[in-house]
Amino acid sequence: MEDRAGLSGRLSAAAYFGCVALLTLAGAGLAMLARPAFAHGVLRTLGLETAPQAQSRSFYATRVAPLLETRCVSCHGARREKASLRLDSFAALLLGGKHGPVIRPGDVRNSELYIRISLPASDERAMPPSGKPPLTEDEKTVIRLWIADGASGALQTIAGAPPPVAEVKIPQDDPAAAQKQRAALAQSVRRLQARFPGTILYESRSSANLEVNASLLGSAFGDAELLALLPLQARITRLDLSGTAVTDTSAPVLAGMPALRSLRIGGSRMTQVTIAALRQARALKSLTIGSGQAGHGALAPLLEKHIAIYGGGDAP
Amino acid sequence: MRPDPQTHAQTHVRVWDLPVRLFHWSIVFLLCLSWFSADQGYMRVHLVSGLTLLALLLFRIAWGLVGSTTARFRNFLHSPRRVAEYLKGLAGGDKIFYAGHNPAGGLMVVALIAVLLAQVATGLFANDGVRFSGPLALLVSEDVSTRLTGIHGLIFDLILLLVWCHVVAVGFYLLVKGDNLIWPMVTGKKHRSYLPAELNIVFTRLYIALLLLAVSAGIAAWVMIQGDL
Repeated sequence: MEDRAGLSGRLSAAAYFGCVALLTLAGAGLAMLARPAFAHGVLRTLGLETAPQAQSRSFYATRVAPLLETRCVSCHGARREKASLRLDSFAALLLGGKHGPVIRPGDVRNSELYIRISLPASDERAMPPSGKPPLTEDEKTVIRLWIADGASGALQTIAGAPPPVAEVKIPQDDPAAAQKQRAALAQSVRRLQARFPGTILYESRSSANLEVNASLLGSAFGDAELLALLPLQARITRLDLSGTAVTDTSAPVLAGMPALRSLRIGGSRMTQVTIAALRQARALKSLTIGSGQAGHGALAPLLEKHIAIYGGGDAP
Repeated sequence: MRPDPQTHAQTHVRVWDLPVRLFHWSIVFLLCLSWFSADQGYMRVHLVSGLTLLALLLFRIAWGLVGSTTARFRNFLHSPRRVAEYLKGLAGGDKIFYAGHNPAGGLMVVALIAVLLAQVATGLFANDGVRFSGPLALLVSEDVSTRLTGIHGLIFDLILLLVWCHVVAVGFYLLVKGDNLIWPMVTGKKHRSYLPAELNIVFTRLYIALLLLAVSAGIAAWVMIQGDL
């Protein structure tokens, strides 16, 4: 490595830059090979390649994509592209990241995606990373079966796949709608609140449903008083008649309350006659009774309707 | 055959001081380490590598102000016109020699230092979105941190481009002009035939370099501590 001109200065500038151009092209080619996602992106932009698409009703679209969306895309999506890997589309998933493909159709054992989600949480390479909940066994099974069946974008069902988890949508309170609903009965509510102070309340600030706690009035609240509540029956969801003077005479009134979900009658004068009538209560989910108020035979029809029965100290 | 030491001493002149040479090859090593550690996910190593780069860059800037003649910015920073004239002369076959960086090389040094500083700065605020974030990432919003992470990736490509240009230029001097720039960066000495006739290089004492390096390392350590607080 002496610095005199013995070893060096043998090339013309044209020859040298020709070699540099060749090396640059070769390097760019290698870089393209090392980053297949980049290379495919270039080819697709130039219209020389078509991105694979999954059908909208395919197993991928209905089972795999939603799973990836909730578990992976926050780090492997448009906003973040960890390891140059995107999992927010069928084409991107098949393309893989900077370390190559993460899916090998038909070969679960060598599919990096499945390997990573199957690692124990203590493993540094486990995905999702520490601090984020791991995939459930059912979710892993969905991924495993999909890869094993060829990672198809067309296949609609896969034998042995666990059933999808039902999506529960919790209705959002709409204060404006609640105000409108309240307006319809506002006059009656005000009148009855004045008659039975402290017993009639709205379920919440954004609800038109009513809770009636007549137990506060004790024996002063009887069948006639319950009948007075009839104008509100469409909105009464919880009714506490514990310790009141209400009798079986009111059974049809109670059974006819369309929104009544929870009823407490312990310590009242109602018997198994009322309890039998409550089979007709459409919305009833919970009934609290006093000890000895009804035998198992009387309660059986309600239990068949999956109404929760509470009695004595077990009351909710 | 090994050259006679006495003859070698007569024909070769010291042009690069030890700090500049160590800085140069440390940068080469740290760039490789930073790339490898990020690629393989060794983010603690990447952090240490990045902060060491920060310390060295701060040191080099200070050394460019108070260091030896060939290390000083004023010695190798020239106007764009002068750089253009130099390149024009080079293409025309002119044989103009410099003891330190030539005007084009000086521009490359400044460009590399600037880009590396930008890379280190963005890295301090970056996050990998999974389990690692730069020591100052919590000082900015997640959105800003994510954007800086993207820029951190883009600057790396720019660094690759500049390094490639640097290597091509060094290769040009070696293979076309016959001027070996690599070996002097190892030994510090250059053959007289590739140097200007008149030389006036003043070398700054090493203890000043050590002092500056200690201050730079202290700043980098302080930045690292911010991430642990």
